[in-house]
Amino acid sequence: MTEITIKVNNKTHELTVSGSHRLLDLLRDDLNLKGTKEGCAVGECGACTVILDGEAVCSCLILAAQCNGKEVETIENLAENNTLSALQQAFIDHGGSQCGYCTPGVLMSTKALLDRNPHPSEEEIKTALEGNICRCTGYVPILDSIKSVLPLKREV
Amino acid sequence: MIGERKGRVDGFEKVTGRAIYGNDITIPDMLHGVCRYSDIPAGKILSIDVSIASEMNGVKAIALYDDVPGDKYIGPVRADFAPIAGKEVHFIGDVVAVVAAETRNQAIAAAGAIRIEYESFEPVTDIEEAVKELSRLVHKEYESNIVNEYPLIKGDVAKGFAQSDHILERRYTTPFQEHAYMEPESITAVPDMRGSGVEILGSIQNPHKVRRFVSQFLKMDMSRINVHKSVMGGSFGGKDDIADHIACRAALLCRMTGRPVQFTYSRENSIIESSKRHPFIMNYKAGFSKAGKIKAMEIDIIADSGAYSFQTFFVTWRALVQATGPYEIENVKTRIRGVYTNNCYTSALRGFGSPQITFAHESLIDEIASFCDLSPLDIRLDNALRQNSRSATSQHFKDHKVSLIQALDETAEKSRFIEKRKEFSRRNSDGGRYRYGIGIADSLRGCSLGSEGVDISSAVLTVNPDGSVNLLSGVCENGSGLQTAFSIIACEVLGIPLEKVYMMDSPTSCTPDGGPTVASRSTLTGGSAVKDAAEILKDRIFQVIKKDLEVNRSDETSWDEGIIRSLKDCNRFISFYSAVEKAVAAGVNLSAIGYFQGPDVDFDDETGQGDAYFTYVYGCQVAEIRVDTYTGKMEVLRVTAAHDVGRAIHKVGVEGQIYGGVVQGMGYAILEDFNMQGGMVKSENFDAYLLPTIKDIGDIDPIIIENPDKYGPFGAKSVGEPTNEIIAGALANALFFATGNRPYNLPLTMEQVYLGYNLKKPARQSEQAHKDSGKKQIPSLSSITLLNPDNLKEALVMVSTPSATPLAGGTDLLVQSRLTREHQTFVDISSLSELSGISDTDNELIIGSAVNFNTLHNHAIVKTLFPILAEAAILTGSNQIRNRATIGGNLANAAPCGDSIPPLLIYGAVLRIVSENSDRKIPLGDFITGGYKTSLEEDELIHSVILPKPDGKWFWTYEKLGRRNTLNITRVSLSMIFKMDEHLRVEECRIVDGALFSYPTRLKEIEKIFTGEELKGNTVLEAEMFLSQKIEEAIGTRWSGIYKKPVFLNIFRDNLKSLIEEINDDRNNHKGE
Repeated sequence: MTEITIKVNNKTHELTVSGSHRLLDLLRDDLNLKGTKEGCAVGECGACTVILDGEAVCSCLILAAQCNGKEVETIENLAENNTLSALQQAFIDHGGSQCGYCTPGVLMSTKALLDRNPHPSEEEIKTALEGNICRCTGYVPILDSIKSVLPLKREV
Repeated sequence: MIGERKGRVDGFEKVTGRAIYGNDITIPDMLHGVCRYSDIPAGKILSIDVSIASEMNGVKAIALYDDVPGDKYIGPVRADFAPIAGKEVHFIGDVVAVVAAETRNQAIAAAGAIRIEYESFEPVTDIEEAVKELSRLVHKEYESNIVNEYPLIKGDVAKGFAQSDHILERRYTTPFQEHAYMEPESITAVPDMRGSGVEILGSIQNPHKVRRFVSQFLKMDMSRINVHKSVMGGSFGGKDDIADHIACRAALLCRMTGRPVQFTYSRENSIIESSKRHPFIMNYKAGFSKAGKIKAMEIDIIADSGAYSFQTFFVTWRALVQATGPYEIENVKTRIRGVYTNNCYTSALRGFGSPQITFAHESLIDEIASFCDLSPLDIRLDNALRQNSRSATSQHFKDHKVSLIQALDETAEKSRFIEKRKEFSRRNSDGGRYRYGIGIADSLRGCSLGSEGVDISSAVLTVNPDGSVNLLSGVCENGSGLQTAFSIIACEVLGIPLEKVYMMDSPTSCTPDGGPTVASRSTLTGGSAVKDAAEILKDRIFQVIKKDLEVNRSDETSWDEGIIRSLKDCNRFISFYSAVEKAVAAGVNLSAIGYFQGPDVDFDDETGQGDAYFTYVYGCQVAEIRVDTYTGKMEVLRVTAAHDVGRAIHKVGVEGQIYGGVVQGMGYAILEDFNMQGGMVKSENFDAYLLPTIKDIGDIDPIIIENPDKYGPFGAKSVGEPTNEIIAGALANALFFATGNRPYNLPLTMEQVYLGYNLKKPARQSEQAHKDSGKKQIPSLSSITLLNPDNLKEALVMVSTPSATPLAGGTDLLVQSRLTREHQTFVDISSLSELSGISDTDNELIIGSAVNFNTLHNHAIVKTLFPILAEAAILTGSNQIRNRATIGGNLANAAPCGDSIPPLLIYGAVLRIVSENSDRKIPLGDFITGGYKTSLEEDELIHSVILPKPDGKWFWTYEKLGRRNTLNITRVSLSMIFKMDEHLRVEECRIVDGALFSYPTRLKEIEKIFTGEELKGNTVLEAEMFLSQKIEEAIGTRWSGIYKKPVFLNIFRDNLKSLIEEINDDRNNHKGE
């Protein structure tokens, strides 16, 4: 067992975790943050994507005990007091979510991108989302949703 | 509100992570259920020993065949499947026992400790063998392996062939397809609050069907079983059957223990146990006139039903009815048979028998067009079903709008089909590596169940005293958007805002059976029931307020945005809320059950003639592709997809179905290569079963055609399935256009396209690396000790303890760990500052072993001085993987396809390896001693990678080939750098393969051929010949050699050509300087 201090969605937690406990398990089971999903457990689908110290990662491939002193952001942190972020609202309006199981991961990958690069090109968006498999939407509505919230680029 | 662009009604929960899916359910005191799977694909069970397992920690119950109180065999038509097998196993996903334990890991351990003895049978895996009389019977209870056989006879094919100028006979095959819903199955059974019944919760496609089977299995009245589905993470037909089985097992364990029991599947369990799309072998014979008019078609199809029958009866029936496509053919004779094998069982998957036959008839008609020198568009228009045509079942198409020609015309126009064909032909005539293709395909599809079953649906609508509305339906939201469409229908009738309707999937105890959520029938049948219920309530409310509004009939009022207004006098109005208040005060019943019963259809099973479905939809898709003729890789550039949906209730939802269906169809057509060999599943997870990513899709242009149907609500018909049945045919036709080679077999993997046949990948990479005796029942991390050193010195002490392994990104190690039962000790080096930096001196770049691939890619010096390394880094895994995967991990894993290895070899990397007592440097080429083998000692770890900075100008080229455009395991790669002298001779060069030989190496013999020579003519030829010989010697006999050899040579030739051009351009640019 390992004692760790981890900041999740701006809240610090002190936890004792076993060696085989993944970051995904910590979020879902210990902190009851069920928004983060498990889809394949081998890093191939991205349903479990969270932001770890600013980077999008698969929480199924990180041991909880590796996260001492780390900062994690999950889907539960996107809306403030029940007010959806513009990105979340766009996913509803443009059909970016169907069954919704991949949606938390897709949103976290997108947020990690936009936090760093508010003006991504289409190719940059695709690169940020290449590890998020969606079986329902055919991806086009996801791209439409994201593009709808990008600030208009000033004409040069 | 119909047809407006609205957001989903369940969108808020989904974008906030609040929606409750199957395994988000936790119940106090809940046990964890795990299946003990069969070890073999076919055999008789001799004994099951649970003595060790039942004594293990935390185990509360183990259920076997004999513990089943009710029907041991179940099935929608034929009860041939035992949710807990006791006598025989028929496929590798059969479950022989189920365990309930306090924790999941305890249940997994116990399942693994159940010992089963078998008398093993040679599995029957080939359907053409299985249909033969001499084949071993998969189920000895039945007389034959043939599950069912359906005929269809229209006119006289012999006469039709005699009247034909030409006859073409072709054989088509299609593969398994996995649904790959993103949410793996999870079902929880809970004792109900009264104490005598059972509640079943979770990812369930058809709650009423689950109830029926659990009732049979437990021998318990349906009234005591309450099935309540959670939010569904996709189904596509896949959670139809398997949910029944998991629910039966969970309910049994719940009864045995008196406690809640949850089964949550790993992806591997899901892929191995769940149903697949039926592989078809289809023999088509078509007779046609010189002008391309089809006179007769004879079709013989066998469908792999796998181990059980399930929906085979219905899937094959739809295929039978639609096998000739949307064409009017006078003489048709079709036979289809479903056949048992020991493969994974097959059942419903979006399309339901249609993607297979659509691929065949669309390939065939295209080939007839080529044969008759007609355009693919004209031949379709000439043969198309039209208004008042007679279909293959002789159904008179008079009651619905036959819109095939409209779909063809609109698709051709929007895609600029005719112009593009010319444009692409012109481009292709220039030759070169890439060819462009454009192909068209179309389909008709019977809506809903037709003669498959009783076509009813139901809905319960309640208007509450505050004017809000609860809506329950007998069909369920699987993710497609049913709740939104149904809410819109209710709002349209009642004239209230969308947010006033709250719809959620309701338990079976409160909802009448609405028939299954299948066959693209929800909007048509369930939506009609919603409309019916809403209209009943509208009328009841109207009766209360009509006096006030001074009207007599409902159609003298408008109901809009919460206001009911007289059309005769616009000043007379009442709010919906006030109207409801009045109705409540008047004691009006504001709950209504709406019902839909499909019109009668009449079908003769003996002849396959009659009215198969009460209405049909038509669709057409055009696909544009680019084919890499050097590798066979197909890239989809654009798809134009037109679908007649009757009426689009929810436009965003309809478009979403088109996008999603097209992409799922693309996966089926190109990437999804389900690998079953000898009854064993080799593609158990998404590292081997490849789904399309966001980089594999191209542009998609949807066209919604609306010809309202008289039966559907507001004219709406179907959209879910037609969208994914057409694209494989369009892609195959585009491929023919591009290359002149017509494919007859799916999937069109790059190997299929290049070789003309498919190559099956061997077992997954991680399995090869991992030698464990006996397969773990559920892959999962079981027992790990993680040591967290504060600094490198501590880490080295920890690593020196026996069997402790350094762990950094975990993207390889933790994947492999899921497969082992042994305890593992890892030393976390991912955060050690000593290993995490990139530094440089005048001569060297030093990369810490814990540096991840994204950091590597983004580093300025790496980009400028080591461009191949930067390029290889960004093409590794996915963004998420690159944020974790480290260069040290990639080297220590030493996979033949490890992406950082070739560039590091090229740039002459030296590794610094440290242990508690040693610090050594070793060239990378000496460090890697074989596939997955290195010279790293047990107490050592890789400290850093040292790259000498190259001097002078180096020309470089790099190519990596994978089946997808990202998230690839490298099939082959080639890295080359060249330095030229002033006479344009090669001063020095380095060439490294990836994933070609058993591990990447410098191809020094080739380098030698080039050194000192000019890069042209004989030298290049000599290098190619040498390379060819070397590949032949090394991998000529390997399964992939037949593909990799020519493809690597092509890549080598092409990259060399580009390199030579670049060198010449560079020289020309510097002339005169």
